[in-house]
This record gives sequence, C-alpha cells and structure tokens, in this order.
Amino acid sequence: MQKLGDFKLPQFFNYPPYFTYSPTLLLLSNFGRPVRDTREKQVQLWKEFILDYCRTQKIFVIELEEEFPLFSNHLIERSLSNEAREAFLSALVSEGRAEWLDRGHRKCLILWHRIQDWADILLHFVRDNGFEDSVMTVEEIRTGVESRGTENHNISSKQPSAILNSYQF
Amino acid sequence: MRRRPGIGGLQTAAAARDQYRILGENVAKLRTDLMKEQLATFRSQLEEFARKHKNDIRKNPTFRTQFHEMCAKVGVDPLASNKGFWAELLGIGDFYYELGVQIVEICWATRPHNGGLINLQELCTLLRQKRKSDREAVSEDDCLRAISKLKILGSGFEVISVGKRKLVRSVPTELNKDHNEILELAQAQGFVTVDEVERRLSWTSGRATDALDTLLDEGLAMIDDGHRDGKRRYWFPCVSSISSSVVSDI
Repeated sequence: MQKLGDFKLPQFFNYPPYFTYSPTLLLLSNFGRPVRDTREKQVQLWKEFILDYCRTQKIFVIELEEEFPLFSNHLIERSLSNEAREAFLSALVSEGRAEWLDRGHRKCLILWHRIQDWADILLHFVRDNGFEDSVMTVEEIRTGVESRGTENHNISSKQPSAILNSYQF
Repeated sequence: MRRRPGIGGLQTAAAARDQYRILGENVAKLRTDLMKEQLATFRSQLEEFARKHKNDIRKNPTFRTQFHEMCAKVGVDPLASNKGFWAELLGIGDFYYELGVQIVEICWATRPHNGGLINLQELCTLLRQKRKSDREAVSEDDCLRAISKLKILGSGFEVISVGKRKLVRSVPTELNKDHNEILELAQAQGFVTVDEVERRLSWTSGRATDALDTLLDEGLAMIDDGHRDGKRRYWFPCVSSISSSVVSDI
C-alpha cells in the first residue's frame, strides 16, 4: 500500500474520480438519492482522511492554496480543485472539527481534538504542572519546557485563543 | 387369441384377464421394490460418501463445487432445507446462510461507493477478508450459490453477466442494453469517455450522454474531470474497484 511518510494512505486516494467533487445532478431528481450517496461517501472519506492525517502528523492549519500532500496524488496525476478543498473542509467545520481562520475561507484550523477536548487537555496540563492560579503566556503553553511531550506541544498559535475563548463562558 | 364361442369362452377370457392383471401387478411391485431398494442404496451411499468426505466438502471449495454438481445431476439439493440430514451431517446449509448474510452486509457497506453493483471477484475478496478468522476457503461458486438462496427474499439480489465478468446487483435497478454495453466497454480501463462511447459503439452523442447520465444518477458511475486531456471520464467502481486495483498493487 502506498504511504506518505509513515502514514498509510486510504485506498480511495488512488481512485481518480474521488478527486473530482461529485456533482449533484439536477435532472431526474426522483432518482437523485444514489448520487447524494456517492457525494456523501466522498465527503465522508475525505473528512476522515484529513482528520486522520492531521492527527498523526500533528498538523494544525491547512492553507487552501498552498501545496498540501493530501490534496494531490502525483501517482495518478490528480489534485483537488479549490472548490472541492473548500467543500471538504467546510464539512469538517460544520461538524466542529475545524474552523475557518479568515473570512475568505483560505486558511483552516483543523481540530482533531474538539475545542472542548483541547480545553480539557490544557486544563490537565495546567493542573499537572501546578500552574493553577498563575499567569502563562500562550507561548509558554506551546513551546515551554513543560509542554514537551504533551499534546499541546507546538500547538498552532491560532489555537489557544480559540480554546481560551471557550473558557470565557 | 382365437375367440371361442359360448359361456365357457367368456369365462376363460375373464380368467385370462385376471391372470394377466395379477402378473402385471407382480411385475410392477417387483420393479417398485427394486427401485426403492436402489434408491435406498443410493441414498445410503451418498450419505456415506458425504460422511466420509465431510471435511473435504467443508474445507475444499473445488471439492464442494464438484459435490454440488454431482448432487444436482441426481436431483438432490443439499441446500433445500436446513432441517434435512444434509444440514445435520454437513452443516452445509448454515455455511451458505452465513455467506448470504455476509454478502448482504458487504453489498450494503459498499453501496455508496459502487451504487449497488459489485464485481463478483471483488465480493469474494471482501468476503474472504471478512471471514479471515475462519479457515474455510470461499470460492466464487459458493458466492453464487449463496446469492441464489438470497433471491427467495425477493430483495433483488441478482447476478448479471457483463462481458466476461459477473456482477452482483443489490439494488433494484434495471439496466438496459445501452447501460450494459457501456459497462462492458468500461471493463478495459475502468472508465469511459463520451467520445469513446460514441466511437466504439457508434452511438449519437445524445444517446451516449443520456445513458451515462442515468448511470451517474444511479450512483454506478463517478465523474473524473482531472485528467490532462481535459476530457471528462466516467469511472465505474463496479468494474474496476479501488480495492481490487490496490490489492493488486500490494
């Protein structure tokens, strides 16, 4: 099986049509259900794929217009259109597994832990290290000595603000 | 017989008829007995055979196929009932019912991907993966048998032949001749283009796009706009599956 670093690529990654965002057909709408199935399946597979990859590779931000290893497969000479990239990421956003960082939907923060889970992780981190009731900078959370080997090590600089926002009830 | 006049003649004739009848009955009875005996012998032989080769029948798919063929020739269906001695002896009924259930599961699970039409070969591969824990090998013949049993459920499980391949259909889609021809064409590369369909089948473009749109609608085809030549390709997961193409890569 094809691999990307130590990441096992899913089977559909080698099947060209998965790189074309399935259209919704307007004709014969009474038979429309299977088409939606195809698209749903496609979106579902891509969502899981992106989340899995980001989780194992510790990637926090995907930029739509930049080269991202999952969005093209040189072996079969296919790459996702911007429309498709945006559609798949939007699907993640709608499930709370990602957040757009800008209005133009060009940068996306991937939440392989949900915000709530990140909040718990940070809280544990703070407790375990005895930082309760003290002041920490975002930088300390990300790259401080204590953060090494924890989930929040090298966390995206965008992320803490999103997490911290969730604390301000 | 020469007809003799008088009462005596009539009596003799009646007696002769009786004699003939009795003889006839005797012969018939003899024949039936013989037949019954033969059948009993045959049955016990078949049972003995099945008992002797029980393990082979269970474990060896080729042997199982041959056993089925033999049974079919003599008009015995070991799958006809789950209660008969075959089932008790071989557990063969259960084996096919189990396969049937697993086939249904696979067809359902892959339906969003292939639109409810799956290559028999691929189905077998998936089936074997699913039954990995189970050492008994499963042949395509077994799949076909299990599917034929599923027909009783009326759920539209059917095996159709397209070109050289057998496809298993699990949705009540009616494929017309045009669709079949496209599927057959697609077997070569896994996809077709509108141009190709028009050229190879000498169709008008309307006929080609119409058939392709229907296939797309049914979820049997997937669009691929990504190729360099800019021509839209229609891929058919049922004839060139991702898993089978990847399996061959390993």
